[in-house]
Amino acid sequence: MFKKSILYVLLCLGMFLNLGCLKDKSEVDISSKNWDEILKLASGTKVTFYGWGGDENINRWIDEVVAKDIKQKYNITLERVPMLPNEFLPKLLNEKQLGSEGVIDIVWINGENFFNAKNQGLLYGPFAYKLPNFNKYVDKNSSDVLYDFGYPVEGFEAPYGKAQLVLIGDTAKLDYLPKNHKELLEIAKKYPGKITYPDASDFTGSAFIRNIIYDVVGYEALKDIKPNKEDVKKAIKPALDFLVELKPYLWRQGKAYPSTLAQLDNMFSDGEVYITMNYTPYHVLTKINEGDFSKTAKAFIFNKGTISNTHFLAIPFNAPNKAGALVVINHLLSPSIQAQKYNPKTWGDLPVISSNLLNEEEKKLFENVNLGKEAIPQDVLVKHSIPEMRAELIPIIESLWREVVLADE
Amino acid sequence: MNKKYKLIFPYLLLLPVLLFIFGIFIFGIVNIFLQSFGYFPAVGLKLFSLRYYKEILKDPNFFYSLKFSLYISFISSLLSVILGVLLAYLFLSTYLNDKAKFYNIYKISVIVPHTIAAFLVFTIFSQSGFLSRIFFRLGFINNMVEFYPMTFDTKGIGVILAYVWKGAPFITLITYDILKKLSDTYSKVALNLGANNFQVFWYILFPLVLPTISLGFIILFTFSFGAYEIPYLLGPSKPKALPVLAYIYYKSVNLKDRPYSMVINVFIILFSLVLAFLYILLNKIIKKHGIDR
Repeated sequence: MFKKSILYVLLCLGMFLNLGCLKDKSEVDISSKNWDEILKLASGTKVTFYGWGGDENINRWIDEVVAKDIKQKYNITLERVPMLPNEFLPKLLNEKQLGSEGVIDIVWINGENFFNAKNQGLLYGPFAYKLPNFNKYVDKNSSDVLYDFGYPVEGFEAPYGKAQLVLIGDTAKLDYLPKNHKELLEIAKKYPGKITYPDASDFTGSAFIRNIIYDVVGYEALKDIKPNKEDVKKAIKPALDFLVELKPYLWRQGKAYPSTLAQLDNMFSDGEVYITMNYTPYHVLTKINEGDFSKTAKAFIFNKGTISNTHFLAIPFNAPNKAGALVVINHLLSPSIQAQKYNPKTWGDLPVISSNLLNEEEKKLFENVNLGKEAIPQDVLVKHSIPEMRAELIPIIESLWREVVLADE
Repeated sequence: MNKKYKLIFPYLLLLPVLLFIFGIFIFGIVNIFLQSFGYFPAVGLKLFSLRYYKEILKDPNFFYSLKFSLYISFISSLLSVILGVLLAYLFLSTYLNDKAKFYNIYKISVIVPHTIAAFLVFTIFSQSGFLSRIFFRLGFINNMVEFYPMTFDTKGIGVILAYVWKGAPFITLITYDILKKLSDTYSKVALNLGANNFQVFWYILFPLVLPTISLGFIILFTFSFGAYEIPYLLGPSKPKALPVLAYIYYKSVNLKDRPYSMVINVFIILFSLVLAFLYILLNKIIKKHGIDR
């Protein structure tokens, strides 16, 4: 009995110590393979897909439609793991430090997280130019494919979809929907306590603040600015002053802000506030369909435009199944998937493939998607889209907002 | 040999899991300390310095947060203890326990995760919540803004409510059995000698369960001091609770901000260590004085 237990202990110890030394020696270098060979390698494998899993509709679509498609077409099992970049990136960083094999094949990522991941050497690539659908359908010279929050992508990511910030107002309660920041202030004065935006630590709240900055000082003022606090503060001072001016008319006199967008949405559904916002432009339709928002909710944007960005798919440096990852990403760039994704009933995400690179049949797929009058048509959105600013400016702006706007008594 | 072996044996059996726990735990803590001194080679920070400590200690926001965290932890733990003991006493005095088991439902809130507690408080006590709606229907308030703000408020009422909802039943759980055992013996004697119910509780039962309650208080306090989700979901935008502040630095795009987060974590750890020490001390005192637990 005693001897046996010692054996167990040693066994466990051995396993524990071995963990760090495991390395996959059988991995094939796929960079020199052509597409047919990659397809062959990928067949019969499993691909894990890590990314934000906060929307049930999107999750269901990936699990039930996309995964089934991929299984049928390529004999690949797709496994979705809901995890945010600020959770899986530290994991990858640790794996890199320990030199261990990974478990993640595809990550859904963009902006600041991409910038960090690429800088730390956590991503495999360049791979995008290997994908047939990328070469066929994506406008490779457009700035929203070449740059991710101002940083060159260089083939380390393939675009997945596009998002654009829209504001959502309740037309039954508001006289008119504001077309710029000045009108927003008027509305806030007219309906004191009925307008607010999420805290800067929230993704959408932060985007809204950046959008106000664009509206007040313009996109150009920040384009080439150095990422230090003094310069940024000087450049965005008028916008910060505006937010301070707006503050007393906001919900709770601007002393508290909803800490998440979900909270703001909740307050909007309850009529506690009259405006909410979303970085997915057709989200409002989904919300109305589900009965969360009243039928009088309507999306709107500022005349000068709103922030838009592209979200991407990337492959970790230690992905165990890189061939499979390439096949899946390629499939996600196909017109049929992009059209399904565009449908507000599934997701309402803007497509990344260019309509002038599609044939008639493929164009039809998009024309058949029924948007409804509460949403803003895609061409209007595209005309009014302003690119995201460089990722390194974002934390500076968030902390300036805390120091100047939130701290203001 | 046999004696020695008997002494070591349980530890041997525990070894694998201990290795695992301590491996992760100590690795984490060592990393926190290293990073708090600015040693984070993964992002190119390789010099040890006290810079981050100095900067955090100079930041008034840190002290606002510390004060706020201490305040919500203290108030919520105190209220939990008071309510929890009263609840336990109530269960005993009404003898519900012998007739029906339905009183067991109080245990539900011990099992429910903190995020759910936050959600419940939000749906009931926010300005557009159930309570506000009922008040509106009854005509006590004319619109929801008149409803006293209990979530995202600087007094932290919502946060405290959520912690009390989780904490009080926990105290009930740990004191109920002790009270039950005690009340049969000591309290009958006291009642026999002419004490009233309040006197029985205050002079006999309360002092006897005090050590257990204190332990419970320390557990609740330490937890709420270091926990992040409830103040994040229900707390005010300013001051932010200490763990929330640490998280904001942690998830900053600029990985070089990570040390600030770790400095705050070091303070949370030190504080928890002090409390853990108190816990052990108290436990020893209890054992020494042979109070039956």
